[in-house]
Amino acid sequence: MNPLDERPPFWGSWGRIYAGLVLYLAGLIALFAWFTRSWNR
Amino acid sequence: MRPLDWAVLAASLAGAAAYGVSRSRGSRTTSQYLLAGKTMPWYAMALSIMATQASAITFISTTGQSYADGMRFVQMYFGLPLAMILISAFIVPRFHASGVFTAYEYLERRFDARTRALAGIIFLLSRGLAVGVALSAPAVVLTVLLGWPSQWTTLAMGVIAVAYTVSGGIAAVTWTEFVQMLVMTAGIVAALVTALWVLPSGVGLNDALTIAGAAGKLNAVVWRFDLNDQYNVWSGLIGGMFLALAYFGCDQSQVQRYLTGRSIAQSRLGLLFNGVAKIPMQFFILLTGALVFVFYVYSQPPLVFQPQAMQALESQPGYAQLRAEYDAAFTSRRQAALRMDLEAFRSAQQDVDRVRSRALSLAGEAMGQGRINDTNYVFLWFVVHHIPAGVVGLIMAAIFAAAMSTISAEINSLATVSMVDIYRRFVRREAPDRHYLAASRWLTVFWGAYAIVTALYAQNLGSLVEAVNRLGSLFYGTLLGVFVLAFFFPRVRGGAAFLSMLLGEAAVFAVWHFTGLAFLWLNAIGCLVVVFSGVAFSLLRPTPRTAA
Repeated sequence: MNPLDERPPFWGSWGRIYAGLVLYLAGLIALFAWFTRSWNR
Repeated sequence: MRPLDWAVLAASLAGAAAYGVSRSRGSRTTSQYLLAGKTMPWYAMALSIMATQASAITFISTTGQSYADGMRFVQMYFGLPLAMILISAFIVPRFHASGVFTAYEYLERRFDARTRALAGIIFLLSRGLAVGVALSAPAVVLTVLLGWPSQWTTLAMGVIAVAYTVSGGIAAVTWTEFVQMLVMTAGIVAALVTALWVLPSGVGLNDALTIAGAAGKLNAVVWRFDLNDQYNVWSGLIGGMFLALAYFGCDQSQVQRYLTGRSIAQSRLGLLFNGVAKIPMQFFILLTGALVFVFYVYSQPPLVFQPQAMQALESQPGYAQLRAEYDAAFTSRRQAALRMDLEAFRSAQQDVDRVRSRALSLAGEAMGQGRINDTNYVFLWFVVHHIPAGVVGLIMAAIFAAAMSTISAEINSLATVSMVDIYRRFVRREAPDRHYLAASRWLTVFWGAYAIVTALYAQNLGSLVEAVNRLGSLFYGTLLGVFVLAFFFPRVRGGAAFLSMLLGEAAVFAVWHFTGLAFLWLNAIGCLVVVFSGVAFSLLRPTPRTAA
Protein backbone atom coordinates (compact mmCIF):
# COMPACT_ATOMS: atom_id res chain seq x y z
CA MET A 1 0.00 0.00 0.00
CA ASN A 2 1.22 3.50 -0.77
CA PRO A 3 2.08 5.04 2.60
CA LEU A 4 0.24 8.19 1.51
CA ASP A 5 -2.95 6.14 1.35
CA GLU A 6 -2.42 4.48 4.71
CA ARG A 7 -5.78 4.04 6.39
CA PRO A 8 -6.45 5.22 9.94
CA PRO A 9 -6.69 2.59 12.70
CA PHE A 10 -10.40 3.34 13.22
CA TRP A 11 -13.47 4.80 11.40
CA GLY A 12 -12.24 3.54 8.02
CA SER A 13 -11.08 6.75 6.36
CA TRP A 14 -9.32 9.99 7.23
CA GLY A 15 -12.25 11.97 5.81
CA ARG A 16 -14.55 10.51 8.48
CA ILE A 17 -12.06 11.33 11.22
CA TYR A 18 -11.74 14.91 9.98
CA ALA A 19 -15.54 15.25 9.80
CA GLY A 20 -15.75 13.85 13.33
CA LEU A 21 -13.27 16.45 14.57
CA VAL A 22 -15.25 19.29 12.92
CA LEU A 23 -18.44 18.02 14.59
CA TYR A 24 -16.57 17.75 17.89
CA LEU A 25 -15.44 21.37 17.54
CA ALA A 26 -18.98 22.50 16.75
CA GLY A 27 -20.20 20.57 19.79
CA LEU A 28 -17.56 22.16 22.04
CA ILE A 29 -18.44 25.68 20.87
CA ALA A 30 -22.16 24.95 21.41
CA LEU A 31 -21.38 23.57 24.90
CA PHE A 32 -19.28 26.61 25.78
CA ALA A 33 -21.98 28.95 24.42
CA TRP A 34 -24.52 27.19 26.65
CA PHE A 35 -22.09 27.44 29.58
CA THR A 36 -21.63 31.18 28.95
CA ARG A 37 -25.35 31.85 28.63
CA SER A 38 -26.24 29.75 31.67
CA TRP A 39 -23.90 31.47 34.09
CA ASN A 40 -23.72 35.05 32.80
CA ARG A 41 -26.88 36.07 34.60
CA MET B 1 7.65 25.37 49.92
CA ARG B 2 7.72 22.56 52.47
CA PRO B 3 9.93 19.41 52.35
CA LEU B 4 7.13 17.35 50.77
CA ASP B 5 6.79 19.95 47.99
CA TRP B 6 10.53 19.87 47.32
CA ALA B 7 10.42 16.07 47.17
CA VAL B 8 7.54 16.09 44.66
CA LEU B 9 9.24 18.78 42.54
CA ALA B 10 12.64 17.03 42.50
CA ALA B 11 11.14 13.60 41.79
CA SER B 12 9.05 14.94 38.89
CA LEU B 13 11.93 16.80 37.25
CA ALA B 14 14.48 14.03 37.68
CA GLY B 15 12.02 11.28 36.75
CA ALA B 16 10.97 12.97 33.49
CA ALA B 17 14.56 13.67 32.40
CA ALA B 18 15.79 10.18 33.36
CA TYR B 19 12.92 8.52 31.50
CA GLY B 20 13.60 10.63 28.39
CA VAL B 21 17.32 9.87 28.36
CA SER B 22 16.74 6.14 28.98
CA ARG B 23 14.31 5.94 26.03
CA SER B 24 16.73 7.73 23.69
CA ARG B 25 19.83 5.54 24.02
CA GLY B 26 21.44 4.63 20.74
CA SER B 27 21.19 7.90 18.79
CA ARG B 28 24.25 7.23 16.61
CA THR B 29 23.23 8.91 13.34
CA THR B 30 21.92 12.35 12.48
CA SER B 31 18.63 10.77 11.47
CA GLN B 32 18.31 9.17 14.90
CA TYR B 33 19.48 12.29 16.71
CA LEU B 34 17.31 14.79 14.80
CA LEU B 35 14.33 12.63 13.75
CA ALA B 36 14.48 9.71 16.24
CA GLY B 37 14.98 7.43 13.23
CA LYS B 38 11.29 8.04 12.39
CA THR B 39 10.14 5.56 15.02
CA MET B 40 7.83 7.59 17.25
CA PRO B 41 4.31 6.35 18.07
CA TRP B 42 1.38 8.79 17.89
CA TYR B 43 0.80 9.10 21.65
CA ALA B 44 4.39 10.20 22.30
CA MET B 45 4.18 12.79 19.50
CA ALA B 46 0.75 13.98 20.70
CA LEU B 47 1.83 14.72 24.25
CA SER B 48 5.17 16.09 23.08
CA ILE B 49 3.41 18.52 20.72
CA MET B 50 1.14 19.68 23.53
CA ALA B 51 4.03 20.01 25.98
CA THR B 52 6.08 22.10 23.53
CA GLN B 53 3.10 24.38 23.03
CA ALA B 54 2.46 24.90 26.76
CA SER B 55 5.13 27.20 28.17
CA ALA B 56 5.40 28.04 31.85
CA ILE B 57 4.32 31.61 31.40
CA THR B 58 1.24 30.42 29.50
CA PHE B 59 0.46 28.17 32.43
CA ILE B 60 0.89 31.00 34.94
CA SER B 61 -0.64 33.77 32.81
CA THR B 62 -3.69 31.90 31.57
CA THR B 63 -5.11 31.46 35.07
CA GLY B 64 -4.31 35.09 35.88
CA GLN B 65 -5.93 36.19 32.64
CA SER B 66 -9.12 34.34 33.55
CA TYR B 67 -9.04 35.97 37.01
CA ALA B 68 -8.84 39.43 35.44
CA ASP B 69 -10.59 39.12 32.10
CA GLY B 70 -12.65 35.93 32.21
CA MET B 71 -12.50 32.79 30.13
CA ARG B 72 -12.80 34.32 26.66
CA PHE B 73 -9.13 33.54 25.98
CA VAL B 74 -10.22 29.93 25.27
CA GLN B 75 -11.65 31.10 21.91
CA MET B 76 -8.12 31.66 20.63
CA TYR B 77 -7.88 27.87 20.30
CA PHE B 78 -11.13 27.35 18.34
CA GLY B 79 -9.23 27.40 15.03
CA LEU B 80 -6.71 24.81 16.19
CA PRO B 81 -8.69 21.63 15.35
CA LEU B 82 -9.35 23.03 11.84
CA ALA B 83 -5.63 23.69 11.42
CA MET B 84 -4.82 20.15 12.60
CA ILE B 85 -7.14 18.76 9.92
CA LEU B 86 -5.56 20.86 7.15
CA ILE B 87 -2.01 20.02 8.25
CA SER B 88 -2.83 16.31 8.52
CA ALA B 89 -4.46 16.26 5.10
CA PHE B 90 -2.05 18.42 3.10
CA ILE B 91 1.24 19.06 4.91
CA VAL B 92 2.14 15.85 6.78
CA PRO B 93 2.10 13.63 3.64
CA ARG B 94 4.27 16.09 1.70
CA PHE B 95 6.89 16.45 4.43
CA HIS B 96 7.00 12.69 5.03
CA ALA B 97 7.23 11.85 1.33
CA SER B 98 10.03 14.37 0.72
CA GLY B 99 12.20 12.88 3.50
CA VAL B 100 13.28 16.29 4.80
CA PHE B 101 14.82 17.01 8.21
CA THR B 102 13.39 20.53 8.39
CA ALA B 103 10.39 22.37 6.98
CA TYR B 104 12.70 24.87 5.27
CA GLU B 105 14.64 22.14 3.46
CA TYR B 106 11.40 21.49 1.58
CA LEU B 107 11.45 25.09 0.30
CA GLU B 108 14.72 24.55 -1.55
CA ARG B 109 13.35 21.47 -3.28
CA ARG B 110 10.30 23.44 -4.32
CA PHE B 111 11.83 26.92 -4.88
CA ASP B 112 15.52 27.72 -4.37
CA ALA B 113 18.31 27.94 -1.80
CA ARG B 114 17.75 31.62 -0.95
CA THR B 115 14.05 31.09 -0.11
CA ARG B 116 15.09 28.20 2.14
CA ALA B 117 17.81 30.32 3.74
CA LEU B 118 15.45 33.29 4.29
CA ALA B 119 12.81 31.08 5.92
CA GLY B 120 15.46 29.38 8.06
CA ILE B 121 16.93 32.70 9.16
CA ILE B 122 13.46 34.09 9.99
CA PHE B 123 12.91 31.02 12.16
CA LEU B 124 16.31 31.33 13.86
CA LEU B 125 15.77 35.03 14.55
CA SER B 126 12.23 34.75 15.89
CA ARG B 127 12.78 31.56 17.92
CA GLY B 128 16.23 32.70 19.01
CA LEU B 129 14.71 35.86 20.48
CA ALA B 130 11.95 33.93 22.22
CA VAL B 131 13.95 31.06 23.72
CA GLY B 132 15.62 33.17 26.41
CA VAL B 133 12.30 34.73 27.34
CA ALA B 134 10.68 31.30 27.69
CA LEU B 135 13.36 30.46 30.25
CA SER B 136 13.53 33.78 32.09
CA ALA B 137 9.86 34.69 32.48
CA PRO B 138 8.89 31.90 34.92
CA ALA B 139 12.16 32.38 36.81
CA VAL B 140 11.31 36.05 37.40
CA VAL B 141 7.82 35.25 38.72
CA LEU B 142 9.09 32.42 40.95
CA THR B 143 11.80 34.71 42.29
CA VAL B 144 9.42 37.49 43.20
CA LEU B 145 6.91 35.23 44.94
CA LEU B 146 9.13 32.59 46.50
CA GLY B 147 12.34 34.52 46.98
CA TRP B 148 14.39 32.00 45.00
CA PRO B 149 17.46 33.59 43.35
CA SER B 150 16.38 34.00 39.72
CA GLN B 151 19.85 33.09 38.40
CA TRP B 152 19.71 29.71 40.12
CA THR B 153 16.15 29.01 38.93
CA THR B 154 17.17 29.86 35.38
CA LEU B 155 20.33 27.79 35.59
CA ALA B 156 18.55 24.79 37.14
CA MET B 157 15.84 24.67 34.47
CA GLY B 158 18.24 25.51 31.64
CA VAL B 159 21.03 23.09 32.53
CA ILE B 160 18.69 20.11 33.04
CA ALA B 161 16.87 20.81 29.76
CA VAL B 162 20.12 21.29 27.82
CA ALA B 163 21.64 18.14 29.35
CA TYR B 164 18.91 15.74 28.24
CA THR B 165 18.51 17.48 24.86
CA VAL B 166 22.24 17.21 24.06
CA SER B 167 22.37 13.67 25.37
CA GLY B 168 19.55 12.08 23.41
CA GLY B 169 18.43 14.55 20.76
CA ILE B 170 14.81 14.64 19.75
CA ALA B 171 14.02 11.19 21.14
CA ALA B 172 15.03 12.37 24.61
CA VAL B 173 13.08 15.60 24.11
CA THR B 174 9.95 13.75 22.98
CA TRP B 175 9.93 11.10 25.73
CA THR B 176 10.78 13.65 28.41
CA GLU B 177 7.95 15.86 27.15
CA PHE B 178 5.66 12.83 27.23
CA VAL B 179 6.21 12.55 30.99
CA GLN B 180 6.26 16.33 31.46
CA MET B 181 2.83 16.59 29.82
CA LEU B 182 1.49 13.96 32.24
CA VAL B 183 2.94 16.01 35.13
CA MET B 184 1.31 19.17 33.70
CA THR B 185 -2.05 17.40 33.41
CA ALA B 186 -1.76 16.20 37.01
CA GLY B 187 -0.88 19.78 38.03
CA ILE B 188 -3.92 21.20 36.23
CA VAL B 189 -6.27 18.64 37.81
CA ALA B 190 -4.72 19.25 41.24
CA ALA B 191 -5.09 23.03 40.87
CA LEU B 192 -8.72 22.77 39.73
CA VAL B 193 -9.73 20.35 42.50
CA THR B 194 -7.89 22.39 45.14
CA ALA B 195 -9.47 25.64 43.95
CA LEU B 196 -12.87 24.02 44.52
CA TRP B 197 -11.82 22.41 47.80
CA VAL B 198 -10.59 25.63 49.44
CA LEU B 199 -13.86 27.50 48.84
CA PRO B 200 -15.65 28.31 52.12
CA SER B 201 -18.01 25.67 53.48
CA GLY B 202 -21.49 26.21 52.14
CA VAL B 203 -20.20 27.52 48.79
CA GLY B 204 -20.65 24.75 46.23
CA LEU B 205 -19.76 24.54 42.56
CA ASN B 206 -23.14 25.97 41.55
CA ASP B 207 -22.69 29.01 43.83
CA ALA B 208 -19.10 29.47 42.65
CA LEU B 209 -20.13 29.46 38.98
CA THR B 210 -23.01 31.85 39.72
CA ILE B 211 -20.63 34.31 41.38
CA ALA B 212 -17.97 33.95 38.65
CA GLY B 213 -20.65 34.38 35.96
CA ALA B 214 -22.10 37.46 37.65
CA ALA B 215 -18.62 39.03 37.55
CA GLY B 216 -18.36 38.23 33.81
CA LYS B 217 -15.60 35.64 34.27
CA LEU B 218 -17.36 32.77 32.45
CA ASN B 219 -17.52 34.45 29.04
CA ALA B 220 -16.16 31.43 27.17
CA VAL B 221 -17.96 32.41 23.95
CA VAL B 222 -18.30 35.96 22.60
CA TRP B 223 -20.24 36.09 19.32
CA ARG B 224 -19.77 39.83 18.62
CA PHE B 225 -17.54 40.44 15.59
CA ASP B 226 -14.91 43.13 16.25
CA LEU B 227 -11.61 43.32 14.38
CA ASN B 228 -9.98 45.15 17.28
CA ASP B 229 -11.08 42.61 19.88
CA GLN B 230 -8.42 39.95 20.51
CA TYR B 231 -10.74 37.15 21.58
CA ASN B 232 -14.12 36.36 20.06
CA VAL B 233 -15.42 33.34 18.16
CA TRP B 234 -14.50 34.81 14.77
CA SER B 235 -10.95 35.91 15.59
CA GLY B 236 -10.49 32.52 17.28
CA LEU B 237 -11.80 30.45 14.39
CA ILE B 238 -10.15 32.42 11.56
CA GLY B 239 -7.15 34.18 13.13
CA GLY B 240 -6.56 31.27 15.50
CA MET B 241 -6.64 28.82 12.59
CA PHE B 242 -4.02 30.81 10.67
CA LEU B 243 -1.87 31.07 13.80
CA ALA B 244 -2.10 27.32 14.41
CA LEU B 245 -1.49 26.56 10.72
CA ALA B 246 1.66 28.69 10.81
CA TYR B 247 2.86 27.36 14.14
CA PHE B 248 2.25 23.67 13.48
CA GLY B 249 2.89 23.80 9.74
CA CYS B 250 6.00 26.00 9.48
CA ASP B 251 7.65 26.26 12.89
CA GLN B 252 10.42 23.69 13.10
CA SER B 253 9.86 23.18 16.85
CA GLN B 254 6.51 21.59 15.95
CA VAL B 255 7.22 20.22 12.46
CA GLN B 256 10.15 18.24 13.85
CA ARG B 257 7.78 16.50 16.30
CA TYR B 258 5.60 14.96 13.64
CA LEU B 259 8.52 14.28 11.26
CA THR B 260 9.63 11.70 13.85
CA GLY B 261 6.45 9.65 13.32
CA ARG B 262 6.92 6.03 12.24
CA SER B 263 4.28 6.58 9.56
CA ILE B 264 2.04 9.26 8.12
CA ALA B 265 -0.91 7.78 10.02
CA GLN B 266 0.97 7.99 13.34
CA SER B 267 1.95 11.63 12.67
CA ARG B 268 -1.63 12.50 11.73
CA LEU B 269 -3.04 10.86 14.86
CA GLY B 270 -0.55 12.77 17.01
CA LEU B 271 -1.69 16.08 15.54
CA LEU B 272 -5.40 15.24 15.62
CA PHE B 273 -5.18 14.23 19.28
CA ASN B 274 -3.88 17.74 19.93
CA GLY B 275 -6.96 19.06 18.09
CA VAL B 276 -9.18 17.06 20.44
CA ALA B 277 -7.43 17.72 23.76
CA LYS B 278 -6.14 21.28 23.54
CA ILE B 279 -9.40 23.23 23.90
CA PRO B 280 -10.72 21.28 26.94
CA MET B 281 -7.27 21.59 28.56
CA GLN B 282 -7.28 25.38 28.12
CA PHE B 283 -10.89 25.51 29.31
CA PHE B 284 -10.04 23.80 32.59
CA ILE B 285 -6.95 25.97 33.15
CA LEU B 286 -9.13 29.06 32.64
CA LEU B 287 -11.86 27.62 34.87
CA THR B 288 -9.23 27.24 37.59
CA GLY B 289 -8.50 30.97 37.25
CA ALA B 290 -12.22 31.76 37.53
CA LEU B 291 -12.48 29.63 40.68
CA VAL B 292 -9.45 31.39 42.15
CA PHE B 293 -11.39 34.62 41.55
CA VAL B 294 -14.36 33.16 43.49
CA PHE B 295 -12.05 32.09 46.32
CA TYR B 296 -10.84 35.69 46.60
CA VAL B 297 -14.42 36.94 46.72
CA TYR B 298 -14.68 35.30 50.15
CA SER B 299 -11.05 35.63 51.30
CA GLN B 300 -9.49 39.07 50.91
CA PRO B 301 -6.62 39.11 48.40
CA PRO B 302 -3.80 41.68 48.42
CA LEU B 303 -4.60 44.97 46.73
CA VAL B 304 -1.80 44.25 44.25
CA PHE B 305 -0.50 40.68 43.71
CA GLN B 306 3.04 41.63 42.71
CA PRO B 307 4.95 42.00 46.02
CA GLN B 308 7.43 44.63 44.77
CA ALA B 309 4.61 46.77 43.37
CA MET B 310 2.68 46.35 46.63
CA GLN B 311 5.70 47.57 48.60
CA ALA B 312 6.04 50.57 46.30
CA LEU B 313 2.34 51.32 46.69
CA GLU B 314 2.50 51.24 50.48
CA SER B 315 5.04 54.05 50.45
CA GLN B 316 2.70 56.35 48.51
CA PRO B 317 0.80 59.17 50.28
CA GLY B 318 -2.60 58.09 48.88
CA TYR B 319 -2.21 54.48 50.04
CA ALA B 320 -4.16 54.70 53.34
CA GLN B 321 -7.22 56.16 51.60
CA LEU B 322 -6.99 53.59 48.82
CA ARG B 323 -6.65 50.76 51.35
CA ALA B 324 -9.74 51.92 53.26
CA GLU B 325 -11.78 52.09 50.04
CA TYR B 326 -10.55 48.62 49.04
CA ASP B 327 -11.46 47.09 52.42
CA ALA B 328 -14.94 48.62 52.24
CA ALA B 329 -15.50 47.49 48.63
CA PHE B 330 -14.27 43.97 49.43
CA THR B 331 -16.58 43.69 52.47
CA SER B 332 -19.59 44.86 50.44
CA ARG B 333 -18.75 42.38 47.68
CA ARG B 334 -18.30 39.50 50.12
CA GLN B 335 -21.58 40.21 51.88
CA ALA B 336 -23.44 40.50 48.58
CA ALA B 337 -21.93 37.17 47.48
CA LEU B 338 -22.95 35.47 50.74
CA ARG B 339 -26.52 36.74 50.25
CA MET B 340 -26.36 35.77 46.56
CA ASP B 341 -27.58 39.29 45.78
CA LEU B 342 -26.12 39.42 42.26
CA GLU B 343 -27.04 43.03 41.52
CA ALA B 344 -25.32 44.28 44.68
CA PHE B 345 -22.41 41.92 43.96
CA ARG B 346 -21.89 43.35 40.47
CA SER B 347 -21.98 46.89 41.82
CA ALA B 348 -19.44 46.04 44.54
CA GLN B 349 -17.29 44.23 41.95
CA GLN B 350 -17.11 47.44 39.92
CA ASP B 351 -15.96 49.28 43.06
CA VAL B 352 -13.25 46.66 43.69
CA ASP B 353 -12.12 46.90 40.04
CA ARG B 354 -11.97 50.70 40.20
CA VAL B 355 -9.89 50.72 43.40
CA ARG B 356 -7.55 48.04 42.05
CA SER B 357 -7.12 49.94 38.80
CA ARG B 358 -6.10 53.07 40.71
CA ALA B 359 -3.76 51.00 42.91
CA LEU B 360 -2.04 49.46 39.87
CA SER B 361 -1.55 52.90 38.32
CA LEU B 362 -0.24 54.38 41.56
CA ALA B 363 2.14 51.44 42.08
CA GLY B 364 3.35 51.90 38.50
CA GLU B 365 4.00 55.60 39.11
CA ALA B 366 5.89 54.78 42.31
CA MET B 367 8.08 52.34 40.37
CA GLY B 368 8.64 54.77 37.52
CA GLN B 369 6.65 52.63 35.05
CA GLY B 370 3.26 52.71 33.45
CA ARG B 371 0.28 50.91 34.96
CA ILE B 372 1.36 47.62 36.60
CA ASN B 373 -0.05 44.38 35.23
CA ASP B 374 -0.06 41.82 38.04
CA THR B 375 -2.04 39.02 36.35
CA ASN B 376 1.06 36.77 36.14
CA TYR B 377 1.27 36.76 39.94
CA VAL B 378 -2.34 35.89 40.80
CA PHE B 379 -2.19 32.12 40.40
CA LEU B 380 1.20 31.64 42.06
CA TRP B 381 0.11 33.84 44.97
CA PHE B 382 -2.89 31.53 45.40
CA VAL B 383 -0.68 28.42 45.14
CA VAL B 384 1.89 29.63 47.61
CA HIS B 385 -0.54 30.98 50.24
CA HIS B 386 -3.60 28.74 50.11
CA ILE B 387 -2.70 25.28 48.81
CA PRO B 388 -1.68 22.32 51.03
CA ALA B 389 1.80 20.76 51.08
CA GLY B 390 2.50 18.27 48.31
CA VAL B 391 0.03 19.87 45.92
CA VAL B 392 2.21 23.00 45.80
CA GLY B 393 5.16 20.81 44.77
CA LEU B 394 3.07 19.16 42.06
CA ILE B 395 1.91 22.51 40.64
CA MET B 396 5.47 23.87 40.75
CA ALA B 397 6.62 20.69 38.98
CA ALA B 398 3.97 21.33 36.30
CA ILE B 399 5.26 24.90 35.82
CA PHE B 400 8.87 23.73 35.61
CA ALA B 401 7.85 20.94 33.23
CA ALA B 402 6.07 23.46 31.00
CA ALA B 403 9.15 25.71 30.93
CA MET B 404 11.63 22.94 30.29
CA SER B 405 9.57 21.22 27.59
CA THR B 406 9.35 24.45 25.62
CA ILE B 407 13.06 25.24 26.04
CA SER B 408 14.27 21.77 25.10
CA ALA B 409 12.05 21.69 22.01
CA GLU B 410 13.23 25.14 20.94
CA ILE B 411 16.97 24.53 21.36
CA ASN B 412 16.58 21.17 19.63
CA SER B 413 14.82 22.77 16.64
CA LEU B 414 17.21 25.74 16.56
CA ALA B 415 20.16 23.33 16.46
CA THR B 416 18.49 21.28 13.72
CA VAL B 417 17.85 24.28 11.47
CA SER B 418 21.36 25.65 12.13
CA MET B 419 22.90 22.31 11.21
CA VAL B 420 20.71 21.20 8.31
CA ASP B 421 19.72 24.50 6.68
CA ILE B 422 22.84 26.56 7.32
CA TYR B 423 25.90 24.46 8.21
CA ARG B 424 25.31 21.38 6.03
CA ARG B 425 23.85 23.44 3.18
CA PHE B 426 26.15 26.47 3.05
CA VAL B 427 29.26 25.79 5.16
CA ARG B 428 30.30 22.13 4.81
CA ARG B 429 28.35 20.20 2.23
CA GLU B 430 30.24 16.91 2.11
CA ALA B 431 31.24 15.26 5.36
CA PRO B 432 30.72 11.90 7.09
CA ASP B 433 27.48 11.47 9.04
CA ARG B 434 29.39 11.30 12.35
CA HIS B 435 30.68 14.83 11.66
CA TYR B 436 27.13 16.15 11.27
CA LEU B 437 26.05 14.25 14.40
CA ALA B 438 28.83 15.92 16.38
CA ALA B 439 27.93 19.28 14.82
CA SER B 440 24.29 18.76 15.88
CA ARG B 441 25.34 18.09 19.48
CA TRP B 442 27.65 21.12 19.59
CA LEU B 443 24.97 23.36 18.06
CA THR B 444 22.53 22.12 20.72
CA VAL B 445 25.11 23.07 23.38
CA PHE B 446 25.53 26.46 21.69
CA TRP B 447 21.79 27.23 21.58
CA GLY B 448 21.36 25.94 25.13
CA ALA B 449 24.13 28.22 26.41
CA TYR B 450 22.68 31.08 24.34
CA ALA B 451 19.22 30.48 25.88
CA ILE B 452 20.60 30.50 29.43
CA VAL B 453 22.74 33.62 28.91
CA THR B 454 19.87 35.46 27.16
CA ALA B 455 17.51 34.43 29.96
CA LEU B 456 19.88 35.78 32.61
CA TYR B 457 20.13 39.05 30.69
CA ALA B 458 16.40 39.20 29.81
CA GLN B 459 15.50 39.38 33.50
CA ASN B 460 16.54 43.03 33.43
CA LEU B 461 14.55 43.90 30.33
CA GLY B 462 11.12 44.21 31.99
CA SER B 463 8.40 45.05 29.49
CA LEU B 464 10.71 44.29 26.55
CA VAL B 465 10.06 40.62 27.26
CA GLU B 466 6.47 40.93 26.06
CA ALA B 467 7.58 42.94 23.02
CA VAL B 468 10.06 40.23 22.05
CA ASN B 469 7.37 37.56 22.37
CA ARG B 470 5.11 39.54 20.07
CA LEU B 471 7.91 40.29 17.62
CA GLY B 472 8.57 36.57 17.33
CA SER B 473 4.98 35.96 16.30
CA LEU B 474 5.06 38.67 13.63
CA PHE B 475 6.83 36.25 11.28
CA TYR B 476 4.38 33.36 11.32
CA GLY B 477 1.99 34.61 8.61
CA THR B 478 4.81 35.12 6.12
CA LEU B 479 6.23 31.66 6.74
CA LEU B 480 2.79 30.12 6.31
CA GLY B 481 2.26 32.06 3.08
CA VAL B 482 5.42 30.75 1.44
CA PHE B 483 4.48 27.17 2.34
CA VAL B 484 0.99 27.69 0.88
CA LEU B 485 2.70 28.86 -2.33
CA ALA B 486 4.97 25.82 -2.25
CA PHE B 487 2.15 23.32 -1.75
CA PHE B 488 -0.72 24.71 -3.80
CA PHE B 489 0.65 27.02 -6.52
CA PRO B 490 2.94 25.02 -8.81
CA ARG B 491 3.37 27.94 -11.25
CA VAL B 492 5.05 30.10 -8.60
CA ARG B 493 8.85 29.81 -8.78
CA GLY B 494 11.71 30.78 -6.47
CA GLY B 495 12.10 34.46 -7.38
CA ALA B 496 8.42 35.21 -6.89
CA ALA B 497 8.32 33.30 -3.60
CA PHE B 498 11.36 35.15 -2.26
CA LEU B 499 10.03 38.59 -3.20
CA SER B 500 6.57 37.82 -1.82
CA MET B 501 8.09 36.81 1.54
CA LEU B 502 9.83 40.19 1.78
CA LEU B 503 6.62 41.99 0.80
CA GLY B 504 4.53 39.95 3.24
CA GLU B 505 6.86 40.74 6.12
CA ALA B 506 6.81 44.45 5.23
CA ALA B 507 2.98 44.39 5.14
CA VAL B 508 2.72 42.67 8.53
CA PHE B 509 5.08 45.18 10.15
CA ALA B 510 3.19 48.10 8.56
CA VAL B 511 -0.21 46.84 9.80
CA TRP B 512 1.21 46.09 13.25
CA HIS B 513 2.83 49.53 13.50
CA PHE B 514 0.10 51.73 12.03
CA THR B 515 -3.17 50.06 13.09
CA GLY B 516 -4.71 48.71 16.27
CA LEU B 517 -5.78 45.48 14.61
CA ALA B 518 -6.09 42.49 16.97
CA PHE B 519 -2.92 40.44 16.97
CA LEU B 520 -4.43 37.17 15.71
CA TRP B 521 -5.38 38.75 12.38
CA LEU B 522 -1.72 39.53 11.52
CA ASN B 523 -1.10 35.87 10.75
CA ALA B 524 -3.92 35.83 8.21
CA ILE B 525 -2.76 39.12 6.65
CA GLY B 526 0.87 37.99 6.31
CA CYS B 527 -0.18 34.72 4.72
CA LEU B 528 -2.65 36.31 2.27
CA VAL B 529 -0.19 39.05 1.18
CA VAL B 530 2.49 36.44 0.46
CA VAL B 531 0.10 34.20 -1.47
CA PHE B 532 -1.49 36.98 -3.56
CA SER B 533 1.81 38.75 -4.27
CA GLY B 534 3.54 35.45 -5.06
CA VAL B 535 0.86 34.58 -7.60
CA ALA B 536 0.94 38.15 -9.01
CA PHE B 537 4.75 38.15 -9.36
CA SER B 538 4.66 34.79 -11.11
CA LEU B 539 2.06 36.11 -13.57
CA LEU B 540 4.02 39.32 -14.20
CA ARG B 541 7.35 37.56 -14.67
CA PRO B 542 6.63 34.02 -15.77
CA THR B 543 9.69 31.83 -15.37
CA PRO B 544 10.12 28.88 -17.69
CA ARG B 545 9.58 25.53 -15.99
CA THR B 546 12.75 23.54 -15.44
CA ALA B 547 13.18 19.91 -14.58
CA ALA B 548 13.38 19.38 -10.83
